[in-house]
Amino acid sequence: MNARVSFVVGVVAAVAVAPALVSARAVVGQPAPPFTLADTHGKSHRLADFAGKRVVLEWWNHECPFVNKHYGGGSMQKLQKEWTGKGVVWLTISSSAPGEQGHVDAARADALMKEKGAAPTAVLLDPDGTVGRAYGARTTPHMFVVDAKGTLVYAGGIDDKPSTDQADLATATNYVQAALEDLAVGRTVAVPTSEPYGCAVKYAD
Amino acid sequence: MGRRMKRVRLWTGPTVAILALATGAGRADAQPSGGRHVRASLVAEADSVEAGRPLIVGFRLEMEPGWHTYWRNPGDSGLPTRVAWELPDGFSAGELQWPRPIRFLTGPLVSYGYEHEVLHPVEISVPASIGASEVRLAARLSWLECREACLPGKADLALTLPVRARAGSGPAAPLFAEARRRMPRVDPEWTLSATAREGVVDLVVLPPRGTRLSEAYFYPIPRRVVDYSRAQTLAAEEQGYRIALARDPNGVAAVERLLGVLVARTGAGEKAVEVDVPVKSKTSARAAGDPTEGTEEGKP
Repeated sequence: MNARVSFVVGVVAAVAVAPALVSARAVVGQPAPPFTLADTHGKSHRLADFAGKRVVLEWWNHECPFVNKHYGGGSMQKLQKEWTGKGVVWLTISSSAPGEQGHVDAARADALMKEKGAAPTAVLLDPDGTVGRAYGARTTPHMFVVDAKGTLVYAGGIDDKPSTDQADLATATNYVQAALEDLAVGRTVAVPTSEPYGCAVKYAD
Repeated sequence: MGRRMKRVRLWTGPTVAILALATGAGRADAQPSGGRHVRASLVAEADSVEAGRPLIVGFRLEMEPGWHTYWRNPGDSGLPTRVAWELPDGFSAGELQWPRPIRFLTGPLVSYGYEHEVLHPVEISVPASIGASEVRLAARLSWLECREACLPGKADLALTLPVRARAGSGPAAPLFAEARRRMPRVDPEWTLSATAREGVVDLVVLPPRGTRLSEAYFYPIPRRVVDYSRAQTLAAEEQGYRIALARDPNGVAAVERLLGVLVARTGAGEKAVEVDVPVKSKTSARAAGDPTEGTEEGKP
């Protein structure tokens, strides 16, 4: 045996950190991971039910200052209204675990949406974080766009101004708006990924 | 609220003594201020300004227990601390400097930052002649402070220092010595290289002869390179070590340089080394395969 090999340091601890987000991750250009989730009226939605339609997934936590930048400034509601009006399915998803910030039951979620004048197609409840982890949702907001063929065509931030400051909305480029505009005219999404920014999704440990 | 936020340091060596001292040389125009759980102040290393000689100042953030602020790359969530300066004519400020961070784990998510206290030094260029007897440096500092929840923090800070022919050390100087101790450094005794394979960048580390690593973690500076939530595996090689870094699947398409900070635990304590190396393609990589394969080389 090569003396040098025997000199190899025996063990080095793997720096195991957290349980990883599920490895079957939502990757842009590939089929969006399938899921089934109940909405605030108890109705079950499968992603496959929306085949043939464009779908937006919005990770949401009403107590997060980044989310409140977009709802407080009205920009999220505007986007929801504009695009659901054009046939886009908009699913707002809460992955906050019970006892964690932003956790809501169905009635509370509906009340908050009404109070904010929000207009998603449905609010889906993901308290065990299964769908959030499958998509690799990191922040609130974290945005995903699925095209009519079920391919993930955008994953990332809501816009290019990572801040909690509403004043930044005026000069921000909204990547979801841009992706939906591209899809509307049959163009490839010009900016398919960006860095999501916001509060950590409050998953159960 | 049951959240258990875990803080990961490489080792919990002697706790850094929090230096109790006055705010610093000169006059802080405003009392330390900030968010609800983090107190910010602007301090100088010297007791005065000397014409033509760079001045080192720093933003000190003191955090309530459990609260943290973020590193230049905050990781999965958060925001880096930012500054906007208002300086007299002829003065200019360098970038915020970042002592080595630690990791904060929330569920599967990993973010990078600081707890308890941090000092971010900044070098101020000073003109060759100053026509006043004192100088006022003002800045707006903004940050995100988080425990379970996050709050934006902001402070308008200012520091007035006398102009003297020869500047001496100010009362805040020990804070700067501590920050310097925690600052990552270029170290030519550490040989670093990087290779890319499918979905992974390997950072290959050859420490100085006789230095063994028991733990190591690579903090990437650019965003959208590394998948923060995936464990980094440290494997002993025939020579040196290899840290497998899983790529962000929705990140940038290609990584030409690996840029960041390697924090390693050695027999002599914790070491923070600046990393800035080209990433070679996998044709020149030694091995390929699963990022976890490295642990096969040394069975526990």
